[in-house]
Amino acid sequence: MVNTDELRKTAKEIVEREDVKYVIGYEKGTYGCRISPSFAFSPEDADKFVFSPLCVQNLAVYPLLEEKLPLKRGEEEDMRKVGIVVKGCDSRAVAQIFQEKGLDREDVILIGVCCTGVIDLKKLATQFPEPLEGLEVTEENGNFVLTANGITKTIPKEELLLRTCIHCENPTPVVYDVLLGEEVAPSKEDYQKVKELEEKSLEEKWEYWEKKFERCIRCYACRNVCPLCYCKECMVDHLSPQWVRRSVNLSENAAWNIMRAFHLAGRCIGCGACEQACPVDIPLMEINKKLEKDMKELFDYEAATEEEKSLLTMFKPDDPGEFIL
Amino acid sequence: MNTAKDIEMNEFEPNIVAFLCNWCSYAGADLAGTSRMKYPPNVKVIRVMCSGRVNPMFVINALQQGADGVLVAGCHPGDCHYTQGNYFAKRRMAVLKKLLEYIGVEPERVHMAWVSAAEGQKFADVIKEVTEDVKKVGPMNHFRRRNRW
Repeated sequence: MVNTDELRKTAKEIVEREDVKYVIGYEKGTYGCRISPSFAFSPEDADKFVFSPLCVQNLAVYPLLEEKLPLKRGEEEDMRKVGIVVKGCDSRAVAQIFQEKGLDREDVILIGVCCTGVIDLKKLATQFPEPLEGLEVTEENGNFVLTANGITKTIPKEELLLRTCIHCENPTPVVYDVLLGEEVAPSKEDYQKVKELEEKSLEEKWEYWEKKFERCIRCYACRNVCPLCYCKECMVDHLSPQWVRRSVNLSENAAWNIMRAFHLAGRCIGCGACEQACPVDIPLMEINKKLEKDMKELFDYEAATEEEKSLLTMFKPDDPGEFIL
Repeated sequence: MNTAKDIEMNEFEPNIVAFLCNWCSYAGADLAGTSRMKYPPNVKVIRVMCSGRVNPMFVINALQQGADGVLVAGCHPGDCHYTQGNYFAKRRMAVLKKLLEYIGVEPERVHMAWVSAAEGQKFADVIKEVTEDVKKVGPMNHFRRRNRW
């Protein structure tokens, strides 16, 4: 676990630097036990920073979401850096954005925090149905100790962890300028869920996904929280040509979900933010993980590594092509 | 109106959309025509400048709008008019096929082929094979659009 004082101190030092615009971190939210993103423009703001297993958001979205207003005459663009508090998965997202040249390494300062996994708020809601004020979470021998309103509950970690965190391969950030906390031993992704579904027949697969896609309300929350969905204009917002119609029905929902996954092929870093944001509980990570697995098998490619280009912007002459007539 | 189930399998005639690259496959199809080769009439050809032009969304949209199968054809590797467009297409279609199979759409619905301008016979054979494959798996009913403009 990361020491809060240490985090605040580091954040303060970074905000004070002349070449830094602001630092993005986590602060206590306004609803129940939720944590919200926090933007520290001054050292005083950094005093609000916290880090706990409740910090589920992927802060890597924010530098690319920032609105850049047109410059006034004679005004110069603010080229100062942005500090970000990154967990292991967030740092991979940043690394992938670097590789795609969405951001420059010089644009950001990364405060890496070693993460032992975050809590799935949906699972937490089943344990504590009412919003909890001032929930304290600590870890003890593989258990989460939750304290709220004077009641203490000890729950095994696996029961509360976000599904992607259970098999996290990068709990320690891969890129950072400052590293806080102690390095965490990585576990191995086994693609259990994906393999189970792969073995089913085509009819069963479609039956499974049909039910999921029918529920989709196309709020595009999955896209908005995704650190790698940073196109200036998303293909679903295009009106000419209108790739996906606005009507919410199975056909358009399926088209959207297939294309969303396709656009993340070889780019998804598996933070699970999309699944966490989905209001109708579509298991989006099951599609993303499937593609991640296939990209490893087909092209021996993994996102956010030292590769020079992203998967679909390059090719090798000996790519598998048995399917070609 | 004929719903998919009313049509018996043996009389089912599939709709196939073929994206043919301007420089090789389209010319190959032209050669098949001028040489008066016989191939199934189920195919609707859309000419694209390169197989690399084919956005996977084209394929999904075709399947949504009434195609039972899609064929993407381009120049042989190394012969692309734009040097490497077909290699990109190959990667994309490999990913798309895997994804569709995982969603539960038969992988036989999406085909890819290399057809050069001199291969009229091969074009006819490819169309035959694709048509037979799609006939076998039947009408596409997974995410067909129900409302039409």
